[in-house]
Amino acid sequence: MSRKVALFVPCFVDQLLPQVAVDTVTVLRRVGCEVNYFEDQTCCGQPAFNSGFWSESRPCAEHFVSVFKDAEYIVSPSGSCTTMVRNFYPELLKESDALADAREVGQRTFELSEFLVKIMGVTKVGARFPHTVTYHASCHGLRELHLRDEPLQLLRGVEGLKLVDMLRYDECCGFGGTFATKFADISVAMGTSKADNIAVTGAEYVTAIDPSCLMHVQGVLGKRKDKAKTIHLASILASEGKPA
Amino acid sequence: MANSGSRDLILQRIREGLKTQVPVPPPMSDEAVIFPPVEDPMARFQQECKANLMELTLTNDAGASAQQIAGILSSLPEGEIYVQDAPFLRQLMQTVATVRTVHWSSEGAPRESAQATISLAEALVAQTGSVFVTAACGGRGISVVAPCHIVFATTSQLVPDLKTALGSATRKGILHNNSFACMISGSSRTADIEKILVQGAHGPVRLAVVLQAGN
Amino acid sequence: MSTGTTPKPGQGAPTPQNAEAHDTGRSAASNARGNLSNAQRFLLDAAEKSVDMVHREIIRKGMDSYDVAHAKGRTRFAFWDAARQRCQEIKREAVNHLDQYLLEFEKNVIAHGGHVFWAATSEEACQYIADLAVKHSVKTVVKSKSMVTEEIHLAGALEKVGCTVWETDLGEYIVQLRNEGPYHIVTPAMHLNRKQIGDLFRDKFDEPNLSDDPQELVAAARRKLRKAFFAAEMGISGANFLVADAGCIAISTNEGNGRLSTGVPRIHVAVTGIEKMIPKLEDLATLWPVLATSGTGQPITTYGSLIGGPRRPGEADGPEEFHVVLVDNGRSSLLASKEEREVLHCIRCGACLNICPVFRHIGGHSYGTPYPGPIGSVLVPRLEGEKFEHLSSASTLCGACTSVCPVKIDLHHHLLENRRDFTEAGHVSAGERFQFKMFKTAMVNPSLYKVGGWFMRKSLRLLYSLGLSGSVLDPLRPWNKGRSTIPLAKQSFRAIWKKELDHGE
Repeated sequence: MSRKVALFVPCFVDQLLPQVAVDTVTVLRRVGCEVNYFEDQTCCGQPAFNSGFWSESRPCAEHFVSVFKDAEYIVSPSGSCTTMVRNFYPELLKESDALADAREVGQRTFELSEFLVKIMGVTKVGARFPHTVTYHASCHGLRELHLRDEPLQLLRGVEGLKLVDMLRYDECCGFGGTFATKFADISVAMGTSKADNIAVTGAEYVTAIDPSCLMHVQGVLGKRKDKAKTIHLASILASEGKPA
Repeated sequence: MANSGSRDLILQRIREGLKTQVPVPPPMSDEAVIFPPVEDPMARFQQECKANLMELTLTNDAGASAQQIAGILSSLPEGEIYVQDAPFLRQLMQTVATVRTVHWSSEGAPRESAQATISLAEALVAQTGSVFVTAACGGRGISVVAPCHIVFATTSQLVPDLKTALGSATRKGILHNNSFACMISGSSRTADIEKILVQGAHGPVRLAVVLQAGN
Repeated sequence: MSTGTTPKPGQGAPTPQNAEAHDTGRSAASNARGNLSNAQRFLLDAAEKSVDMVHREIIRKGMDSYDVAHAKGRTRFAFWDAARQRCQEIKREAVNHLDQYLLEFEKNVIAHGGHVFWAATSEEACQYIADLAVKHSVKTVVKSKSMVTEEIHLAGALEKVGCTVWETDLGEYIVQLRNEGPYHIVTPAMHLNRKQIGDLFRDKFDEPNLSDDPQELVAAARRKLRKAFFAAEMGISGANFLVADAGCIAISTNEGNGRLSTGVPRIHVAVTGIEKMIPKLEDLATLWPVLATSGTGQPITTYGSLIGGPRRPGEADGPEEFHVVLVDNGRSSLLASKEEREVLHCIRCGACLNICPVFRHIGGHSYGTPYPGPIGSVLVPRLEGEKFEHLSSASTLCGACTSVCPVKIDLHHHLLENRRDFTEAGHVSAGERFQFKMFKTAMVNPSLYKVGGWFMRKSLRLLYSLGLSGSVLDPLRPWNKGRSTIPLAKQSFRAIWKKELDHGE
């Protein structure tokens, strides 16, 4: 069944990691969605919100709501951004005229893996990725959106993919938004523990539903010249084998 | 009241603060199951005592109990023992074969050098393998000062769980008639060094329960 | 310091000069620097601990064994989450009617022959206890573990009036000998291995033949402390719970030091926060196992002591005087906040510390307060103010703490609320305020955002091509110091969309 999806591209994905969004479009179209991208979108406002600057975050949120107000489904390749819109907008916009619209928009906003599994009802998206992959459970997806199985179901549906378990896969990688720069030493230390756990699996790739986690982990892996590379779930799902 | 200034201030602050309404969701039902019910208290008590590294012996009569106590005492280094002054224990100690000096709780606090103490209990709890004692069971030190604490109890004192034991203690006004009570679930221990469990810290290293059938 | 024949804890006992004992567990770098703000010290200490791989390994081992024990402990419950909910309800009831239950508690304790002292501030609490010590010519004090006594700096106050204070909880005793503060609220010496403790004891006890075997070390500590228990005139404890209907305090321990400290000396003083209240004795049927499971994974602690008054006529032994010191020290101010009131439900189990990935990497001493970890980061800024507000920011908001809290405190969201309140109170740098004003301006204006993004990528690319990544000119220096640079995309997604992906749907 064809669904109309408005793509919600996190600001840093737009600017720094566009391939994640490109791959998200690929996957959504492959499962039969109509995908549109509203160019007026900017940022959900989470960086300001998390630092306590709620007055500065509010206008960003109101802008987001006005951009996506009429979208049927809003899908994002980011657990943390989805959390912001769905879980925190009602609190942030408590006193705003946009509150009712924000609630509405929140109910229609989904992270990619939950959209595919829970809304589209699919776990196989025609992907082929013949590599060993280990999964890191990003905190927002796990504890705010309660996504435990959906990403794993999708990974198991990928042809040729060998999934290996990581110790403490649900321990925070250490990104935490502005924490990564405000408390860089702690952030990197947490990242190195995560990198150690990845290395033990021997996997070629580590994946997650949050590009921010992956950006940070890649930074640590790259600095240490570790074998593993990060790849977003959307990019794995967008991979196809050679056509028959 | 000596400290009425701060007392009033604190109470006032609390009352001011509590004026703020906070949402209170409806409570869980009283029937809600938190712990699995204790099906067979005796079996459970034995199981838990074992896990707690307590020494539990079941006896059928006073003769066997006396023998068991004598056996434990003979395994300990020389030295006096301290016993709760209760009629039953007075009687029992007459039949326990020991050459040790016995100091009774009616004579005062246990001495630091006591090798063992013997007390009764208020109740036994199957759920956690616990011995519930009060100040009436020979005081406070009796269950902690000596390296070996021996508890004499009967099977009629066994209750299934903490809820029953504490409910009963409330109804009987235990903490209004005693300055002290204690739920004891093993001998003293610590894991403060590398999280390695060491038996016998400042309290007893041995807790022995002699459990006689009946009342 | 008293002289004479009463035994001393050893040279390392905290002195009034370094009353902030927890400071001395801080890094050499931050200790050497003198005039630093708490936030600056925190950054230095955290940085040092973050790369200390010996420390990381010790903590990892400790937390791994805790994880296993905790998982096993949860299986003893039919429904662990029902247990958490029941505990939340008990604490909510107690705190929502705190005045009523405190008065019931007080009435009962006084009826039992005890004294209840209400201390609005830490100074008042210390003054009362010090006065008591002077009145009764107390020379030796034995103390069982109490975080509140660390909070109010009680040991220093007692030493000022000539008392020798012995920490009798083994972990606390060890850090006292090292002149450090406790590392963790439940296991104060978990950052040390047996060799370090062996070295400490061999030195302080003058027993050069002592081995590193934990059993021998515990026996050595027992020998030393036993003399103190029987010589002390005053014993000080905390309280895990204050039971209103029974009019008693409840103390959960394993070692027996709490039993001896509160049972042997003539005077027992229990120091407690006002929020430790629970309505009924029967509530302990759930709280005792939940506290033990969350704290150490045990089904229940070895001793659940209930103390309601001094020894009564006819009792064989026990203190002649029993004092409960109820400490406010800012707690009551949390009641008025609809959001923050539940922070007072904390039962100080330590589970949030154990699971916190930040704690696991920087350790308890880096926080600079007796309450480290998530609960400390939520509570201490509220109690102590601006100088600790950085703690609320030193978190990734991963939410692990909230998921384990046995009374279901929404810890990580409270950290967010703290940040909001401190920002709105103006406790942020002008630089940060400016940054976020710029952020907002760009984000509500799509054209500005597009241009800004393009400009950022272009200038970073230039900077990096000149080899200036990680230099003082690099705005992403904090990132690039420890991580490889983020690759800079040639085009933004929106540009790619326009060119290739827009199917006009």
